[in-house]
Amino acid sequence: MFYLLDFFRKNSYLLLFLVLETVSFILLFRFNHYQGSVWLSSANEVAAGVQNLYTGIERYTALGQVNERLTSENLRLQMENARLRKALTQATHDSTLTERLLADHLAGYDLIPATVVSNMVGTRHNYLVIDRGTNHGVRPEMGVVGGGGIVGIVYLAGANHALVIPVTNKKSSISCRIRGQNYFGYLQWDGKSLLHAAVDDIPRYARVKVGDVVETSGYSSVFPPGLFVGRIKGIGNSADGQSYRLNVTLGTDFARLSDVCVIATPYKAEIDTLRSKADEDLLGE
Amino acid sequence: MFPPKLYPVPVLQTIFSRIAWFAALILLQALVCSHIHLGGYAIPLPYVYLLCILPMAAPRWVFILTGFVTGLAADIMVNTPGMAAASMTACGLLAPMVCPLFAPTDAEMDEFRPSAVTMKWSGFLSYAAVLTLAHCILFFAIEAFTLSLWPEMALTCLASAALTMLFITAFEMLRKPHIKG
Repeated sequence: MFYLLDFFRKNSYLLLFLVLETVSFILLFRFNHYQGSVWLSSANEVAAGVQNLYTGIERYTALGQVNERLTSENLRLQMENARLRKALTQATHDSTLTERLLADHLAGYDLIPATVVSNMVGTRHNYLVIDRGTNHGVRPEMGVVGGGGIVGIVYLAGANHALVIPVTNKKSSISCRIRGQNYFGYLQWDGKSLLHAAVDDIPRYARVKVGDVVETSGYSSVFPPGLFVGRIKGIGNSADGQSYRLNVTLGTDFARLSDVCVIATPYKAEIDTLRSKADEDLLGE
Repeated sequence: MFPPKLYPVPVLQTIFSRIAWFAALILLQALVCSHIHLGGYAIPLPYVYLLCILPMAAPRWVFILTGFVTGLAADIMVNTPGMAAASMTACGLLAPMVCPLFAPTDAEMDEFRPSAVTMKWSGFLSYAAVLTLAHCILFFAIEAFTLSLWPEMALTCLASAALTMLFITAFEMLRKPHIKG
């Protein structure tokens, strides 16, 4: 600033020149319409340019916040997209005959939809974990079904999750029958293939053939009668030779299991009470 | 070989002489020159002669102020507000820088008076031509206020500067005997 003032003190004629030129141009723009309008439009353009530059800088410096907002908005939209896609899939899902029959059989039962969050397969003691627990009404020994047929039985129930013993577990044993003949046996897994299980104790006089449908018998309080289990793939003899052993192709693909339903049997408590009473009485005698 | 000896001129006479030149040039511009449009391009602007004959002994602010006042007066008389004032002020800044370029090398610039006598005709006319051309370029550029018509503007500048130089030559021929006397 000092050097600037010193410069003008030594060259005061430059200051006078600037002042007089300014006066001249003020006169020019004030009293000449053409030059005045050109100056005004040019000044407006310059002002607009400066304003645009300032706005651009301001917007650039605010890009961080904009980016954060866009990221959160993008995440929200992705979640909404996934939810809507799932809803659309469910709404437009072309259910198979098995699913429709299952739905018909389960019409009078309370169904608790659940999603498999953990699927332990490949061992002899497979199990599943679903994202519903006692808070949602899930209790131990409730049946679990999927789109292809029965899945297993709830073994343990936590507050928000439950552990399910699937059909493909060595300890699983579910009462089944041949559709239309009412011969029943117990479905058990031999630990070999996830697609196959066996039904033992089918009497030899039963007229069974390959391709017949195996369904739940309804003798237990876990599953209602008539739920699809699978189809007979082969017929063999049981270990003692007194009955048939049916090799069954399961309707549920446990390797790709995702959405299931827990069957809240309305009469289970009543049936369980009667059974325990009967056991006590019989054991007492 | 040597420049003619300069005789001291009484200050009051000089002031009256400048005022007389000023009045005469402005009146000439307003009454005669502003009505001349030779070929539709050439307009003489002879009042720039006042800057050409200012002595180098004068401070630079005198050149600038003289240019401004002369231009302003021309603007008022010819109704071109600001145009001549702006261009003549710029010429007032240029004049002390241009004159030494055409002055004799052995001239004392503190006492130098530009004229056909002190600079010879070629030197003086060159000095006047530079100032005149600068003035014409600035004046017509400000008047047009755009560069889109530059060919016409260049022609106007050259024609006007040439015509103005005719006037300046005539003025100098009138003034030269008095300088000698």
